Amino acid sequence: MLLGLDMALAVIVILAICLLGAVRLGSIIRLFVFQSFVMATIPLMLGGEVHIHKLVIVLGTVVLKVIFIPTMLFWAVRHVSIRRYAPGFFGIGANLLLGGFLVGLSFFLSSGIVLTEKPFSDLLIPSAFSTLFIGFLLLISRTKAITQVVGYLVMENGIFLFALLLLETTPLLVELGIFLDIFVGVFIMSIVINRIQNEFDHTDTSRLTAPEGEKG
Amino acid sequence: MIFFILGLSLFGGGLAFVLPKNGMRNGVLVCVALVHLLCMASFWIIPLPDVRGSFLALDQLGLLVLSVVSTLFFVVSIYAVGYFRGEANKSNRMLIGCLLCFLFSMTLVTVSQHLGLFWVAIEATTLASAPLINLQRARQGFEATWKYLMICSVGIALALLGTFFLAISAIGFKTLLLRDLLSHAVSFSVPWLKLSVIFSLVGYGTKMGLAPMHTWLPDAHSEAPSPISALLSGALLNCAFLGILRIGQVCNAAGQGSFFGSMLTLLGLISMGVAAVFISGQSDYKRMLAYSSVEHMGILAVGIGVGGMGLYGSFFHMVNHAFTKGMLFMTAGNLYQYYHTKRSRDVTGVLRTYPWTGGLLTVGFLAITGMPPFGTFLSEIQILSAAVDQRHYGVAFFYLLFLALIFVSMATIVLRMVQGMPRQACAPKKNRESILAVVPPLFLALIVLMLGLYVPPFLDGAFKEASQLLGS
Repeated sequence: MLLGLDMALAVIVILAICLLGAVRLGSIIRLFVFQSFVMATIPLMLGGEVHIHKLVIVLGTVVLKVIFIPTMLFWAVRHVSIRRYAPGFFGIGANLLLGGFLVGLSFFLSSGIVLTEKPFSDLLIPSAFSTLFIGFLLLISRTKAITQVVGYLVMENGIFLFALLLLETTPLLVELGIFLDIFVGVFIMSIVINRIQNEFDHTDTSRLTAPEGEKG
Repeated sequence: MIFFILGLSLFGGGLAFVLPKNGMRNGVLVCVALVHLLCMASFWIIPLPDVRGSFLALDQLGLLVLSVVSTLFFVVSIYAVGYFRGEANKSNRMLIGCLLCFLFSMTLVTVSQHLGLFWVAIEATTLASAPLINLQRARQGFEATWKYLMICSVGIALALLGTFFLAISAIGFKTLLLRDLLSHAVSFSVPWLKLSVIFSLVGYGTKMGLAPMHTWLPDAHSEAPSPISALLSGALLNCAFLGILRIGQVCNAAGQGSFFGSMLTLLGLISMGVAAVFISGQSDYKRMLAYSSVEHMGILAVGIGVGGMGLYGSFFHMVNHAFTKGMLFMTAGNLYQYYHTKRSRDVTGVLRTYPWTGGLLTVGFLAITGMPPFGTFLSEIQILSAAVDQRHYGVAFFYLLFLALIFVSMATIVLRMVQGMPRQACAPKKNRESILAVVPPLFLALIVLMLGLYVPPFLDGAFKEASQLLGS
């Protein structure tokens, strides 16, 4: 069981690094789906009895992050050719290098702060930090609106891993509220992306400023 | 009663999405705002039963923010009816529906006693207000909406992480209910608590518009229609401020108040400095007001950071700023409707063409820069004297310096707009100013003036009680 958990955590971090290297919008969304699916299985591997709270989390994550959100993201970019490249500011090589550096940093950070009670796996906190940092890097290094949303969601996945430490603390109602907020958030973002696409014929957020003459 | 006030605004929002006519929706908006205001007033008269361990309860801090939100929302709702009258052929379903959902989420923020629920409510305010920013679907509005959505969502995500860290630091208890957190705070694990403070300050600070996380604020406030800007600046920022206050409560209870205070003072001074730099030579008058909001959030942060009398000053200033800024944004909305431009250079001689709006703009400028006899003067001087009392002489020096700089640069911009002769090319035909465009900002200006001359005892008591809640 524990080996499975460690494997799953490693897969999540590796997928995050793959996301840094991916340039096509379609493959970025698919990698995110895969990562979320692996993450959804983690609560089941934590041991202990399977109660309703855990099941809701697992099902909620699957429905939300594996089914709904990817569908919406694909809808938002339906005008964009899937093959269109979405390179970042730094280029792939530098991005990957930074990603590796961030993973190292996360291990260093987590060795610094001591958890009051032993977590389920020694890898949990470093991989949560890694996923969070890589999501943040993805968010700031890419200019395409859709990759920024995926970056935000990867960050959210990192936070989800932290939340596993608190599975018994957070009431179900609040958990559902968080799911709802993420859902509505991505829903609104997709609509905005779609509008931007219609209006500007591209979704490059670094070129959203209207030309000088058009400013009101 | 709390359920009633929550249900009311949510029901109103739902109703607005269903009703077929613009006029009916306007009616719903004003009615809900009025009943909300009356409910809020009843909370002041009849103290709420003290429900231990409940998710939803109203303490003195929450009540203060709720009062500001409710009063401002009522005034803005009346103003909005007049403001959007020119677009009567367009459906206002989205506008009214989202406004009422926005009111619901802000009310939920003020009554949340569970920090997880609090987070959900704060994120809901972002989502409810994002569609309001670009109602006209203008091209430049998209950038503002996108920035607002992305920066605030990411910031708030960090605050969620901070909230989780707080729960982790509560050794053995693992709770997020404010009461339990406060009573067990002494035994918290300090490294996790500090980590939580940093993440929460960055997160809620983003939403509150503290520099250097303020970058969404000038765009969103200047692109949004003026009634929305007034609500964003006067009500929403205070809700995020409440999040920082909650973290402050826990920190003080855990004996880490000085760490929290010094971080907040630093952020506050940076915000005031950034605002001072960007206000000088600002060519867009709505952007100028937006940066002024950054400045005032900085003042609030400094007040809380230095502690002592500064706490009282901060709460007082929160009320003053919300009403003054709400009034100024409404005045700016009038200007935009008369002149159809946001460039301050193209607006001259307002006092001659539109005496009421020009007068309000002057009064608002004097109030926002903290001139006597307005309430802002009193609250700013209280924060200054607190900084001197606590021997933070450096803080007091920079605080005064930035205030003076901002006064000079705002005076240059505003006085040039108000005085002088109206330009022939830009000045439209002289038409009567509508009552709906003048009375709401005038009402708020009178409140701020009154607060400068006389603070009612119930309000004074509330400020003192709130300072005690936050004091260690």
